[in-house]
Amino acid sequence: MAPKKNARESTPSAASTTNASTTTTTSGSAPAASVKAATTWDDILHNFCQHYLKQTPQRIKLIDAFLLFLAVVGALQFIYCVVAGNYPFNAFLAGFCATVGQFVLTVSLRIQTTASNKSDFPAVSPERAFADFVVCSLILQFFCVNFIN
Amino acid sequence: MTATDKLRSTGASSESTRTMLRVVILCLIAAAAVSSRLFSVIRFESIIHEFDPWFNFRATKYLVANGFYKFWDWFDDRTWHPLGRVTGGTLYPGLMVTSGVIYHALRAMTIPVDIRNVCVLLAPAFSGLTAFSAYLLTNEMTTSPSAGLLAAAFMGIAPGYISRSVAGSYDNEAIAIFLLVFTFYLWIKAVKLGSMLWGALCALFYGYMVASWGGYAFITCLLPLHTFVLICMGRYSTRLYVSYCTWYALGTLASMQIPFVGFLPVKTSEHMPALGIFGFIQLVAFIQYVRSVISGRQLQTLLAAIVIATFGIGLVGLVGLTSLGYIAPWNGRFYSLWDTGYAKIHIPIIASVSEHQPTAWPAFFFDLNMLIWLFPAGIYLCFQDLRDEHVFVIVYGLFGSYFAGVMVRLMLTLTPIVCVTGGMAVSYVLDIYLRTKSPVPEEVEAASSAPPSKKAAKSHGLRGSEKPSVGIFASTAKTSVVSSLIIYLLMFVSHCTWVTSNAYSSPSVVLASRLPDGSQHIIDDYREAYQWLRQNTKEDAKILSWWDYGYQIGGMADRPTLVDNNTWNNTHIATVGKVMASREEVSYPIMRQHEVDYVLVVFGALLGYNGDDINKFLWMIRIAEGIWPDEVKERDFFTRRGEYRVDQDATDTMKNSLMYKMSYYNYHTMFPPGKAVDRVRNSRLPEEGPVLNTLEEAFTSENWIIRIYKVKDLDNVGRDLFSAAAFDRGQRKKKLNKKRGPRVLRVD
Amino acid sequence: MRSLLSVAVCLLAATAAAVSTSGNRLLVLLDNVADKDAYNHFFGDLTARGYDITYESPRNEGLRLFRLGQRNFDHVMVLPCKLKGLGPNFTPSLLLDFVKAEGNILVALSSTAAAPVSVTAFLAELDIFLPSERTGTVVDHFNYDSVSAKEAHDTLVLDAPEAVRPGLKDYFELPGVLALPHVVGHLLGSSQLITPILRGLPTAYSYSPKQDPVVVDPDDLFAAGRQLGLVSVMQARNSARVSVVGSAEMLQDKWLDAQVARGGGDKVKTENREFGKRLSGWTFQEIGVLRVNGVEHRLVGDSELNPQIYRVKTDVSYSISLSEYVWDKWVPYVLPADDSLQLEFSMLSPFHRLNLVPSVTQSGATNFSRDFTLPDQHGIFNFMVNYKRPFLTYIEDKKTVSVRHMAHDEFPRSYVISGAMPWLSGIAATATGFVCFAAVWMYSSPPAVEKRK
Repeated sequence: MAPKKNARESTPSAASTTNASTTTTTSGSAPAASVKAATTWDDILHNFCQHYLKQTPQRIKLIDAFLLFLAVVGALQFIYCVVAGNYPFNAFLAGFCATVGQFVLTVSLRIQTTASNKSDFPAVSPERAFADFVVCSLILQFFCVNFIN
Repeated sequence: MTATDKLRSTGASSESTRTMLRVVILCLIAAAAVSSRLFSVIRFESIIHEFDPWFNFRATKYLVANGFYKFWDWFDDRTWHPLGRVTGGTLYPGLMVTSGVIYHALRAMTIPVDIRNVCVLLAPAFSGLTAFSAYLLTNEMTTSPSAGLLAAAFMGIAPGYISRSVAGSYDNEAIAIFLLVFTFYLWIKAVKLGSMLWGALCALFYGYMVASWGGYAFITCLLPLHTFVLICMGRYSTRLYVSYCTWYALGTLASMQIPFVGFLPVKTSEHMPALGIFGFIQLVAFIQYVRSVISGRQLQTLLAAIVIATFGIGLVGLVGLTSLGYIAPWNGRFYSLWDTGYAKIHIPIIASVSEHQPTAWPAFFFDLNMLIWLFPAGIYLCFQDLRDEHVFVIVYGLFGSYFAGVMVRLMLTLTPIVCVTGGMAVSYVLDIYLRTKSPVPEEVEAASSAPPSKKAAKSHGLRGSEKPSVGIFASTAKTSVVSSLIIYLLMFVSHCTWVTSNAYSSPSVVLASRLPDGSQHIIDDYREAYQWLRQNTKEDAKILSWWDYGYQIGGMADRPTLVDNNTWNNTHIATVGKVMASREEVSYPIMRQHEVDYVLVVFGALLGYNGDDINKFLWMIRIAEGIWPDEVKERDFFTRRGEYRVDQDATDTMKNSLMYKMSYYNYHTMFPPGKAVDRVRNSRLPEEGPVLNTLEEAFTSENWIIRIYKVKDLDNVGRDLFSAAAFDRGQRKKKLNKKRGPRVLRVD
Repeated sequence: MRSLLSVAVCLLAATAAAVSTSGNRLLVLLDNVADKDAYNHFFGDLTARGYDITYESPRNEGLRLFRLGQRNFDHVMVLPCKLKGLGPNFTPSLLLDFVKAEGNILVALSSTAAAPVSVTAFLAELDIFLPSERTGTVVDHFNYDSVSAKEAHDTLVLDAPEAVRPGLKDYFELPGVLALPHVVGHLLGSSQLITPILRGLPTAYSYSPKQDPVVVDPDDLFAAGRQLGLVSVMQARNSARVSVVGSAEMLQDKWLDAQVARGGGDKVKTENREFGKRLSGWTFQEIGVLRVNGVEHRLVGDSELNPQIYRVKTDVSYSISLSEYVWDKWVPYVLPADDSLQLEFSMLSPFHRLNLVPSVTQSGATNFSRDFTLPDQHGIFNFMVNYKRPFLTYIEDKKTVSVRHMAHDEFPRSYVISGAMPWLSGIAATATGFVCFAAVWMYSSPPAVEKRK
């Protein structure tokens, strides 16, 4: 997998990948493949932010915000677990699983609603995806609440 | 099968007619599946079979009588005396709850049914559903509509599945196989569509499966494996991500709701692959995402390195945690899947179960018949157009056949995939030979009419058009191939019928034999004995027997037992083994301590019934030796030449063991002096029968299959039971004045 | 009316049988019925205590211990017989069956008459052995009665018995002396059901008339000293009692109140009469009989009595009520000093072994009770009081209960456990986050759709 892709990427106009085709402005750095890594990192980061702010629909941003929130909650729980131990184990599992599960489900929602992935999901419209998401989340929350007792 | 042919012949009819026909055929298949499982009910009666089903039946009765919450918290004080069993927390409740729900639903519909009949007929009913889900699963694999129907028909009557689902075989597998196939169907559906809803459905059915059968670990391992193989093949897709993550997140939580499973999904090695793949797929998804946004060669190599490193670290971490004891290592049953000799050495209790033995090769043919050679053909077809779901079939087939080879019992998990691939193979051949009218129009038709998927059509076309046209378009070739296939199918049907009626329909509680004139003779010793126990012993009389009969005693005689088929406490079983394998002097105090009232042994020597306790005795000895290697030694039961004998040449240890004594007690009185014969082991027994001092015979069934002994009380006037028994036989006690040795003085 | 009558009859029968807890039909076996006259006082005492005595000779062939599987008599007393055996109606196994059927036997022996084979064999089964030649007399050259056996030294004068070990009831402890003429000694095996009451002093030995009167070969010596049992009692597991008295004469009228002098000392009056009364009273279950009036166990603070099932780690209170029968009435049982009544809470082996505390004594019974916490182990347990002491009828009271695990809704809820709070809030955060997210998503829906176009 990797070598093949690499071979393709090594062509000079490599910057244009499948869905990042619009980001032409910053691709000036691409021909200079031998430029030091540091500048590349900066570029990449900058590139990334630009790309994100411009190209992402509002809903996706919303999802990302939620994802960030979940990641923070999950990280907090994890840190607490490492620091203070996981004494009521079922509670820990329920809490942590709820966050992780919700995170994963939200990521799934994001994937399904991203326009560029449309081809992968012929049967799933964004509305359908959201409905699925709600159903799955409700099941998840039910299990977790039941499990935490 | 003839119906399928009919379907083919009506190729020109409209779509709705086809659907109609399909529904009718599926109904017929379900009916055939149900009816072929009713042999036992017709031949014997509506009775629960074998061993485990008796427990399930008893648990179901408890559930129906006491409601769900009582059942959930059920502490069973009539098994594993005196430990008791936290039954509600140590069983898979799916089966009982299912039949309980059916029972109450029927009652609500004012159909008065007996819970026993619900239980007896549950397995056949679910086999119809299994056939249906096999149809669905196969339809996901191939475009040929006949493949699904064929697979459903195979599934309906394959002996490998019938063996565990005849009427009366009220076991977890009865519903678990349906759930297995259906979960796989949902999984394939989820992977195909990338839909969270299907993933969630898959997880819910997975949860149901977890609630029903310990074999759920098969799914737990197979789905991650499928995912992993797909990722390794470079077939990662967001659909895969969505379906796997949904399944894992919900399925794991669902499985943890079952008290018996509890924290296992995060604590044992069996479940670690699923967790590992879950983490892995997050990583892959993240990398994919990053790559989709930005690109850079260095970044990519870096990321590839990260992936590999993480995977390696994860594996090392898993091994480390396991060795540190945070994660339970594979349990014994799983070890024995890798090393078939493992259980025999380390855990005799697992090896002692006949269905845990490695499979003998004829069993494959016996259980699957022609499907066994259609199976590779179907796998080959999967390789032909290798889509995600075909990878699944291949992975499943590979692992299923390995496991089936290792353990007889797991033939059950192999059967569905064999049926699916068999259906695909047969339908493929039939499609070619029946559909192709003539070379040219066929091409057009195939492309225009029913829109099959591109690849299938392409390969089809390739085969159809580029080969020399004479071969498959000649009517002789067609007829010969089709007729031979039909003959095979008919043979398959007759084989299945024969196997079902002869091998798998015996309740094993009731035995049947043929009289010289050919009529059937029912040997009903088991129920006779259990009925005797029920009517003649105290309500709380504790029965000691080998664990095989524990569930039956609990179910039919309703008496507390020391050990039963839920072999959760090896030591307790070993105690029973020790009682059986030791001398009376050793056994008696143990029996007193465990408050045993009666001892039950199964003895087949008179009838030649070879499933008796003397034949199982070596396992009792081995299990007891595992706990008390100093007190019970297997070697002592073999003669100097290493033979296991029960006749004159048997070792003293053997002759003095309680099991031997109980089996042959008074047996010689059935024969003229010196002519006592053991018909199972074909040996002549000693003229003098064994003497029992601490037990007295209470009951022996008509054919001597079950013998029940009562444990004597302590002697009233303080003698030991040996001298008391000697006194009763008329031997006077020796006078005190022993000429030899010092006096024994009494100290007060 | 009829029920009243039957109640009255019952009461009458009860008062008539009030003498012994196990009935008043006594069979006395002796050679000649006329021989009973020698025991007039002894039997007179028994009759006065309410016994219905049948005197029979074993020669009477119609005499049976059992009729249709039921005992004909409640007690049997065997007095010395000249017969070699007691005939087919008194074989050792029949005597054992009699004991098994809770009949009591008092065997009195005498060196003047050989013990019947049947009795010897019967006693041998109980681990009590008589001299092999079926005869033999105990001689003590220091503690003999100088009044009646100046030369033979075969009438022993002994201090009345004292307890074998501490912590026993003192039924047989008397002040004064006992006189035992013509004693047949016996040896006791190691059976735990036997208790010696009167043993030879270290100077006593068993002498067979066939032996050389001057030198006794140690190998021929039956027994000597403390090993020589003179009066012993045995209580079978079903609390039927068997007593062996080495000297039947000690119960005869002339010895009951005889004046004896030990080894030439002062004359004293024997306590034989009181001893005979106590021995027969004990053997025929007039003293030393315990009764369990009732057992109660319950959850502390719960009103349900004797439930079948408990939960692990709960507090349980147990009480057992005991009475003791003393001659003619039930009285509250009082533990001997240095003894305690113990409760075992056991499954295979005891998880608790506790001393029960005697409490409120009311209406002829003592309550022994105790509160304790059940172990953290589920299973089928027994409340077991296993009180087996010499001289007292055995108490083995077993009440089986199941101890179950915590039910799924009996664990502390997560919101009770402070440690679970972080995770509870984690779930809460996730859930609220989800709700907010879903709401905002729906709200933001229309523009988003347009945007995606």
